[in-house]
Amino acid sequence: MDADSDVALDILITNVVCVFRTRCHLNLRKIALEGANVIYKRDVGKVLMKLRKPRITATIWSSGKVICTGATSEEEAKLGARRLARSLQKLGFQVIFTDFKVVNVLAVCNMPFEIRLPEFTKNNRPHASYEPELHPAVCYRIKTLRATLQIFSTGSITVTGPNIKAVASAVEQIYPFVFESRK
Amino acid sequence: SLIGAGKTPTLGGGFHANLGKESRAQTLQNGKRQIHHLGNQLQLNQHCLDTAFNFFKMAVSKHLTRGRKMTHVIAACLYLVCRTEGTPHMLLDLSDLLQVNVYVLGKTFLLLARELCINAPAIDPCLYIPRFAHMLEFGDKNHEVSMTALRLLQRMKRDWMHTGRRPSGLCGAALLVAARMHDFRRTVKEVIRVVKVCESTLRKRLTEFEDTPTSQLTIDEFMRIDLEEECDPPSFTAGQKKLKIQQLEKALSKKLEDFEGEISSYQDEIEIELENSRPKAKGVFANFTKEDSIEDNTSSVLGEEEAEDEELEAAANHLNKDFYNELHEKDRVERNEDGECKNGNEALVRPPALESLLGPLPTAASLGITESIKECISTKDREPGENTGDGELDLSGIDDSEIDRYILNDTEAQIKAELWMKENADYLKEQKEKEARIAKEKELGIYKEHKPKKSAKKREPIQASTAGEAIEKMLEQKKISSKINYNVLRDLNSKGSNTPKKEDDSTDDSTNTKKLSRRKSIASRNIANPVNSVGKRLRPLISTLPAKKAATEEVTFPNAQAEAPGLEKSAAVLVESGPVTYNPDEEVEEEEIEEDDDHCMSALQLVGGNDYGCDMDDDDGY
Repeated sequence: MDADSDVALDILITNVVCVFRTRCHLNLRKIALEGANVIYKRDVGKVLMKLRKPRITATIWSSGKVICTGATSEEEAKLGARRLARSLQKLGFQVIFTDFKVVNVLAVCNMPFEIRLPEFTKNNRPHASYEPELHPAVCYRIKTLRATLQIFSTGSITVTGPNIKAVASAVEQIYPFVFESRK
Repeated sequence: SLIGAGKTPTLGGGFHANLGKESRAQTLQNGKRQIHHLGNQLQLNQHCLDTAFNFFKMAVSKHLTRGRKMTHVIAACLYLVCRTEGTPHMLLDLSDLLQVNVYVLGKTFLLLARELCINAPAIDPCLYIPRFAHMLEFGDKNHEVSMTALRLLQRMKRDWMHTGRRPSGLCGAALLVAARMHDFRRTVKEVIRVVKVCESTLRKRLTEFEDTPTSQLTIDEFMRIDLEEECDPPSFTAGQKKLKIQQLEKALSKKLEDFEGEISSYQDEIEIELENSRPKAKGVFANFTKEDSIEDNTSSVLGEEEAEDEELEAAANHLNKDFYNELHEKDRVERNEDGECKNGNEALVRPPALESLLGPLPTAASLGITESIKECISTKDREPGENTGDGELDLSGIDDSEIDRYILNDTEAQIKAELWMKENADYLKEQKEKEARIAKEKELGIYKEHKPKKSAKKREPIQASTAGEAIEKMLEQKKISSKINYNVLRDLNSKGSNTPKKEDDSTDDSTNTKKLSRRKSIASRNIANPVNSVGKRLRPLISTLPAKKAATEEVTFPNAQAEAPGLEKSAAVLVESGPVTYNPDEEVEEEEIEEDDDHCMSALQLVGGNDYGCDMDDDDGY
């Protein structure tokens, strides 16, 4: 079957992870003491700050690197990151918002049919790997897109990739293969 | 033979290649040993072990053993062989033997399979049946029970129970049923012990199988007939069930809402009636209660919104005032006698019921307003200074006052600091103790800084003008074996040039003072006496030496030729001076070892070279 991209397959983005740098050294102790919603993990040397408005959790290192997770879209991720930088600014650090980059996007998609996993693995030998003793899903890697898909026998697929476009195209790519081995 | 059991030394290009191969050979030997050790515990045949060793060799050549525990890589190789051969060994068995987490082993195994481009065929639960059946001790009927279990498994496969499941769990369930069918009383516990799954997993598999139509057949029917229809996988049906339940819930809640709406409308009417019939509150109390209700109202209705903007709050208040006041004023008055706090509680209690009515209205309105308000704020915040250049923070859409809430004031900060200190008391104590220990050690002067292990020693790049110099310097640095005479090694390349040798020797003398004395004595003896005695003494020494000597001899062979020119030099230069006249007989043995004919100047020289190699063992020989 040809790739039917007109099929209304709703891809739900569940998580967007991004990083940015503040280009200045951050005093974690000060943030921990004066921030209202922070967890200070001294043994690993980082501070977790959770924002409510775009629901995100940010991990802040003293070097000025910040990782932001939990957003549901790329714009939201950027907004959250900027909010975070602003709050750090208010705490008194000379923050410069640089190197913003979306690093990882996690999405979930549901196929309307079930999938035969052993058959699927056989047909897609180098890319697919299936280890029922370890994990119930087939792990399919697309090197060109740098995306990984976890395909379950119920038809639900979890995709992770570097950006939303990659994720979408990964789903489109995998659809014909999965359709072949459908139940 | 002179060289003990082991690989025959190959004289490659230069020292460097040779010494590198030693380590590789050791690694492979070590790996082979471990593979055999593990494989015997798993009762794998020789062919499997050899294949596993091949895998290991491939892995080593691809540098996959770097950064990984050798045991993990060995286990992965063995499991790969098990998979390709189809032996009934589980990854769990290997992890049991090694006491390592299964998932860690699995990760290594997956990586190995991927890197070596080996496709491990998918594991079939049918493979495990004979093994588990044997362990469950069915005696004579072992074969029959196995066959029944196999049939059950095939049925399970067709019913979609086996995708994504651990094969051992399915086996366990099939065997249990098969045993019961043949009148064997095997409890769940016994099966679990053999199959290594959890009791709940087994139960679950059994119930799933129960759901299939096959379970309804009698034993005889099952052996004869095979039902045509196939079932959906259990997780799929579970998902469908969930969906159905969700839909039901939705329908129910809708109905509930309708009812609630009706009820609340009745309530309102009743209250209005009551209001009209009751006297109004007077003076201070009325105002007080009004204020209370407003505050409660905004906090409850707006809920999580956090009403960032004051304008927003005001707008919401304005909207809510009318509704709430109408409905709740009477309530406030009624319960006024009970006290303010109760009022507050009541206020909170009532809003939820009516939120469904009021909720949509004010919040929708407030949402509509937030966007426009945000725009206004963002335009205010957009100062030209902040947007210039890269890396400047663009504040559009960011609300400062909300962010201000994220910053605690002094008292809050203090409290938080105290709390954090209490929580992390243990960690802080540890740190203090560590610091105290380090300080003490420093005082005593025995402070050892435990730096994280660096995998590669960083050496300065060797700066040398000729290849010979480079080799000398490298050997000085490396100091591989105490049995190698480095000075002699150095002479390998510099046969023609005598002067550098001398210089090096003089420098080297200081380092090898111990050897010096010995060599002096030997050298003098050698010079004085003919070779024979020395050679004879040497030979037994050489033969008793272990295979390691092979390396030394390899190394020293090339030196032999270099020695020749140096031999005539002053006796003070011990290193080179060695007996020139040696019996050809003794050299025959040396020649056998040597493979590279170019280096074989003369056996005498070779044996002479060995003299230095045997230095340390001279005492042993006596």
